[in-house]
Amino acid sequence: MSPDFLIALILLSNFTLVATSRVNKAIQIAVIQGVLLGLIPLAMGLGRHPHILFMVAAAITVKGWLIPFLLRRAIKEVQIHREVDPYIGYTVSLMLCALGTGLSLILAHVLPLKGGTQVILLVPAALATLFTGFLMLVSRRKALTQVVGYLILENGIYLFGLLLVEDMPMLVETGILLDLFVGVFVMGIVINHIRTAFDSTDTRHLAELKD
Amino acid sequence: MLDVALILIAACSWIAAALLSLNPRSDERWSRWLGIIGSILASASAVHVLASGAISRLEFPFWRGAARLEMDGLSAAFLLPLHLVAGLGVVYGKAYWPLNLPKGAGRSLRFQYGLLVAAMSMLFVARHGLLFLLAWELMAISAFLLIATDHETPEVRRASWVYLVSTHTGTALLTAMVILLAHRNGGLLWLPLPAGNSPGLDAWILLLAIAGFSFKAGLLPLHFWLPSAHASAPSHVSAILSAVMLKTGIYGILRVSALLPSIPWGFGSALLALGALSAVYGVGNALAQRDYKRLLAYSSIENLGIIAMGVGLGLSGRANHDPWLVALGFGGAIFHVWNHAIFKSLLFFGAGSILHATGTRDMEALGGLASRMPRTALLMFPAVLAVSALPPFNAFLSEWFLYRGIFSSLTRGYPWSAAMALVALAFTGGLAAAAFAKFYGILFLGSPRSPVAEHAHDPPRAMLLPMAALACLSLGTGLAGVLLLPCLDRVVAVVAPGSAAMLALGLRADMRLLVGAEALLLVCGLLAFLWWRRSGSSPMSEGPRPPTWDCGYAVAVPRAEYSGSSFSDAWAPLQLGLKARIRPITAIFPNPAVFRSEFRDVVGEMILGPRMERLAVRLLRFRGLQPGYLSIYILYVLLALLGAFLWMFLRGRLLG
Repeated sequence: MSPDFLIALILLSNFTLVATSRVNKAIQIAVIQGVLLGLIPLAMGLGRHPHILFMVAAAITVKGWLIPFLLRRAIKEVQIHREVDPYIGYTVSLMLCALGTGLSLILAHVLPLKGGTQVILLVPAALATLFTGFLMLVSRRKALTQVVGYLILENGIYLFGLLLVEDMPMLVETGILLDLFVGVFVMGIVINHIRTAFDSTDTRHLAELKD
Repeated sequence: MLDVALILIAACSWIAAALLSLNPRSDERWSRWLGIIGSILASASAVHVLASGAISRLEFPFWRGAARLEMDGLSAAFLLPLHLVAGLGVVYGKAYWPLNLPKGAGRSLRFQYGLLVAAMSMLFVARHGLLFLLAWELMAISAFLLIATDHETPEVRRASWVYLVSTHTGTALLTAMVILLAHRNGGLLWLPLPAGNSPGLDAWILLLAIAGFSFKAGLLPLHFWLPSAHASAPSHVSAILSAVMLKTGIYGILRVSALLPSIPWGFGSALLALGALSAVYGVGNALAQRDYKRLLAYSSIENLGIIAMGVGLGLSGRANHDPWLVALGFGGAIFHVWNHAIFKSLLFFGAGSILHATGTRDMEALGGLASRMPRTALLMFPAVLAVSALPPFNAFLSEWFLYRGIFSSLTRGYPWSAAMALVALAFTGGLAAAAFAKFYGILFLGSPRSPVAEHAHDPPRAMLLPMAALACLSLGTGLAGVLLLPCLDRVVAVVAPGSAAMLALGLRADMRLLVGAEALLLVCGLLAFLWWRRSGSSPMSEGPRPPTWDCGYAVAVPRAEYSGSSFSDAWAPLQLGLKARIRPITAIFPNPAVFRSEFRDVVGEMILGPRMERLAVRLLRFRGLQPGYLSIYILYVLLALLGAFLWMFLRGRLLG
């Protein structure tokens, strides 16, 4: 499997994510994206480094099992299945996502990066995923979907990190994974608290906390 | 090496004392003794340096370079009052603000106090721009927290915020000064600058230093934070703030000016004029106060003004290569720093005792305390005389230096500033006497104006002891001024490199005459007192003490007494901030007459305050940027990111 193919799948998963309204499905896609990301180093033919192998295993475990487990539990607790009325509608989101992806293609062209990577799509895909994550964070109202947006954002950063995967110390990678895990963990707790405090997981209510 | 090490040990022991006092299980005595030991060590080192003129330094690597701690005469001249007041303040604070007080946090007070002393000790020995700023900032922040000790009161909170903002504005200016100095010197170490070809840069450095340090020293337009901050802080903290922390501003000006190869023209006269203005303004407003701690704070502005006059005189002497003027100006300023530290901390300790006994800062509610707090009254008396610059107390001598300096500069052809300063200094002395006659008269004499004053009592010994020590020092410095002349010469030699020791020779005759006259005066006074005691089988000694004589009226009504306003009424035109409202008596059967007066500081509360409030209202518009929605904040991040990308994208096109 060539890495470009995986990256194309990741881009597609971005579009699907933006257009979906079911929370469960969004989580599913985020999981798929995470696993695909985890596989990319192998597809790039870096399987010979033991630390990269460890990283792949860790990324797939955290993103493919631990985080969805936490999120599904949160769903069960708060009983939310749909993002009903986002700030930015699904169609517009889709268009913005497409726009962002196009922009990333241009930007990646201009970015003064050190050459050397064989995977041409890596940088634009990283930027596009970053942008999608931001879009999710900005446009969604429910805390759960915002968490998914945060996950996607982190995926984008991870993808960017793959540029340097051979030089990047394992510590940094594990740091990112740990960060992600803690982030989702904390937000899972916060979601529950928002629900008990405001009787809803709509983050609009958080504005009442403003000073 | 040894002297600096002693100062370092002292600073460490103060920090240890601070940390120890945070631990709820530790005995308070330990941290107190640690602090006192630190102060004794530091004072010993300072006395050694002052007596021998030795310079000791310590270098160590710091932040990709060398840093230096150095102990010379100028550092010692400021470390001595710091550790004197700090050590006495710890003893005083034990009884003044006990640990188990329900309000305020006694532990945090002790912690910040130790931190403040340690920071100031480091400040006076640091010879490295960054180190200096670090110590400066630590001092500013611990002082902020000390001022806010009683933070349950909104007035105190406000005072501490105003202090915080102004001290940071000063720090911003000082940071610019440090950067310029580093640029000029080629490194952050503070070494004497070589004579360069850029007098403009030197002038900027000095200008920034004077502007930044005057925030701390409370010179005229930048004094507005001072009165309320000093009035709000616990009294022993006010003592150290007023006696030492304000002086760090003077220290800074002296230190930076000592680094410069020559003083640009005009700075001396300008500082002299600024000091004269501050002195007159400070004492005029002191006269108008009802709150006795505020009165003392305004008097600090006055005294800092006098010190600044000395510094200005010295700077103009340096600019004109006039060693006699340099010696008199800088020597007088340093001497007044010591004297002010002694008598002002005594005054604040005394004010604290009154506050402790009565719980009010309003003079009009007190009175007649001399018979109820006789020891406090006795110990405060020297301070009141000293602050009015009367012999035989210490401030008399330091102002004598300044008078000599101003007169000699009058004869040497810089008349306008000197003439003005002379008038201002004389005027200040007179008004200070009036203000402190009011202070002492209203607080201690007469009969009590309220029940709280009626039931006042002397404070415990732990509070009286430091006051007694300071009172003795005040008298002792006044009488032993001759012995201090060589020490002052050593300090002046540091402040104005290359100037000869002139004070010891030039002023010896003066001082001997003055001290002789003072001693004679004291002996006469003592003899008169003894004679009066012996001959007077006066009716005072038998039976109950009669009330204060009240103009022949049989029934003493405290309400009919002289009030503080009656003292200051004559000077009302001078007190721009004082607004009086009188409803006069007009008819035969008049309505009740009313007199109400209100004081607001001209710069702080009349000019700056309303403008700041308007600015705050205008800035409220930007609150719209903070809607409270997480999504919007993330949008800001996204926009910033996109902006950065766009900039990168366009930069190549636009700039070619």
